[in-house]
Amino acid sequence: MATSRSEASAVKPSLRKDSPGPPFGRLLIANRGEIAVRIIRACRELGVETVAIYSDADARAAHVRLADSAIRVGPAAPADSYLRIDTIVDAAVRAGAEAIHPGYGFLAERAAFAAAVEAAGIAFVGPSAAVIDALGDKLHARRTARAVGVDAVPGTLDPAPIDRPDQVAGIVAEAERIGFPLLVKAAAGGGGRGMRRVATAAELPAALAAGSHEAASAFGDGAVYLEREIAPARHVEVQLLGDSTGRVVAIGERDCSLQRRHQKLVEEAPAPGLTRTERAELHDLAVRVAAAAGLQNAATAEFLRAPDGRFYFLEVNTRLQVEHGVTELVSGIDIVREQLFLAAGQPLSEAVLDAAARAAEPASHSIEVRISAEDPGRDFAPTPGEVRRWSMPSGPGVRVDTALEAGERVPPEYDNLIAKVMVHARDRDAAIDRLRRALDETEIAGIQTTLPFHRFVARAASFRAGDLSTGWVGEHWDGAAEVARAARTAQRTAGLAVLAAGRGAGPDGGMLAGPVADAPAGRPAGVPASGPGGRQRGDGAARDGAWRQAGLADAVDRWPR
Amino acid sequence: MSIRATLLGAHAGLVEPLVVDPEGLPGGDDRAGQERHQVLILELARAHSAAARRLEVVVDGWRFELEVEPEARAALRDKARRDRGAAGHSGPAEVRAIIPGVIVSVAVTPGETVGAGQQLLVVEAMKMQNELRAPRAGTIGRVAVGTGSTIEVGDLLVVVE
Repeated sequence: MATSRSEASAVKPSLRKDSPGPPFGRLLIANRGEIAVRIIRACRELGVETVAIYSDADARAAHVRLADSAIRVGPAAPADSYLRIDTIVDAAVRAGAEAIHPGYGFLAERAAFAAAVEAAGIAFVGPSAAVIDALGDKLHARRTARAVGVDAVPGTLDPAPIDRPDQVAGIVAEAERIGFPLLVKAAAGGGGRGMRRVATAAELPAALAAGSHEAASAFGDGAVYLEREIAPARHVEVQLLGDSTGRVVAIGERDCSLQRRHQKLVEEAPAPGLTRTERAELHDLAVRVAAAAGLQNAATAEFLRAPDGRFYFLEVNTRLQVEHGVTELVSGIDIVREQLFLAAGQPLSEAVLDAAARAAEPASHSIEVRISAEDPGRDFAPTPGEVRRWSMPSGPGVRVDTALEAGERVPPEYDNLIAKVMVHARDRDAAIDRLRRALDETEIAGIQTTLPFHRFVARAASFRAGDLSTGWVGEHWDGAAEVARAARTAQRTAGLAVLAAGRGAGPDGGMLAGPVADAPAGRPAGVPASGPGGRQRGDGAARDGAWRQAGLADAVDRWPR
Repeated sequence: MSIRATLLGAHAGLVEPLVVDPEGLPGGDDRAGQERHQVLILELARAHSAAARRLEVVVDGWRFELEVEPEARAALRDKARRDRGAAGHSGPAEVRAIIPGVIVSVAVTPGETVGAGQQLLVVEAMKMQNELRAPRAGTIGRVAVGTGSTIEVGDLLVVVE
């Protein structure tokens, strides 16, 4: 049933006798970037033919080049291309695709998309539309958790009646019961949209109104609820897989505490510092909620871990996560591959059941850092543009998922994640050493990325000590100071390089030799002509400096992944 | 011959220009002798004069654009600029784009009085809405962009007088 490319039939993978064969003949990937490439790789190994979709901004992108065929779905703007449900389903029908994998972001958690795919007679690689819809409502998810005896973060279970002035006193009383500080959160939310921190009862009415308004404009649903702020907290999540018989298993957990603005920066598996018992208990909580919700395929249950060690359920993400790779490295499971077999109606594989049985006693450690087109010296402001140099690390225990190459442009229209650098080693200390080594090998020029932040994390004593919390970035990272220090080194290095070139020495000779600049790939600059005399320094101060302090303070993600 | 290295682009003015003397290490960072850094140096487009070079220098993952030129030449140019107008710091503040993107909204109009830190406009790039605020108090002299404008780094957005 697999239809390999005719010109590539010779490389069609030979299947073992006990192998189930390809789950689908042809699959469309409703995504772009590194995750589209990741899915293509799984399909290629299984002998599943791939159909890519692309916008005008991505006509020559890696996922288009790597797929067996590709279909244009519209102009660059996501709303006109990667978010067009009708266009994408139509493309899948025309291409003869038997399945659609949504990746993460874009339409991955839109119940309407899953429903349209199912209605077209195509398999949706993910939970059913009904489950996406139910768990997409965080209040429904919280009620589901309560029904099976899993503690959600203390708070309300129904939308706050913000349209009823007569009930303000009731909300305030409920808030007093929950305790301050608390969070106003959007029922349909994600990525911090619609969220407000409330420190006192007096702030509550305004926060409810503002949060609801933001949620309505971001999600088309202004329902908000209250949740106690747990701080300091760790963010720990459980990777789940489920099949059509209703069986759900956990194959491991991840710690994703290093975040800024509720977006993850660093993830690792397993979560450090948990005992075998705690780990098994956490996995059980996640499986209970997911099984009660009727989960199939892949999903992730997110929890907060309070300082006293208790876990509180947050929400379920009904899709492949960005950070699934660290779980793959530790569990040995190819999650995308398993997703495809599950979507084809197969039961959980022996490999998955085996991994689930071992999940509470992980035998290795993996860490992922998200290299994003963002400036960690300016509060992670976006930095799209052309990448001039792009050299990713390799060697033992290093995996890089990316779709980018030197000379390509990071388009401003899409997500700023451009590479995931993952390391795998026998234990956490070795993984951190490996991460530091891998990031030292990484060379990127042309745009600013989050690389300096990750180099900092790999060297930070508190990270190595496992002293993690969702406040870690704010407590430890001083981007402005780091960039200023690096700027002085850059000026000195540039001056020395020019001087060295001027006296005929290369980057390895003259003044560049020695500890000041370790410049393995540096190219000597040209020889400047000499000029007339005088002395006074330049005047380029502070024009952008004012911006650096004043601007970019309130960046908010428009659609979270 | 001494060389002056000056930051350009998004980091212009972040630290003062540095003069590198061939006779020994420059000052500015006492720990310079003990540190190792990962450095990339790439040539950028040619600068405003043949004597100057524009480089992209990446230090430990931090990316900078710099101009390097003979100190003697840079100093002469500074002197000429000082002589032309010693107007000082009270001139108009040009608010320029430090990120590329699309203008989502403009909160001010010419002639309007603004306080330091007041929102001027919102730029959207890569899923993010970035609020840009007045660098200092003053009167809006000019609004160079409108809602829907596509901007590149360095584009003039607003002038605060």
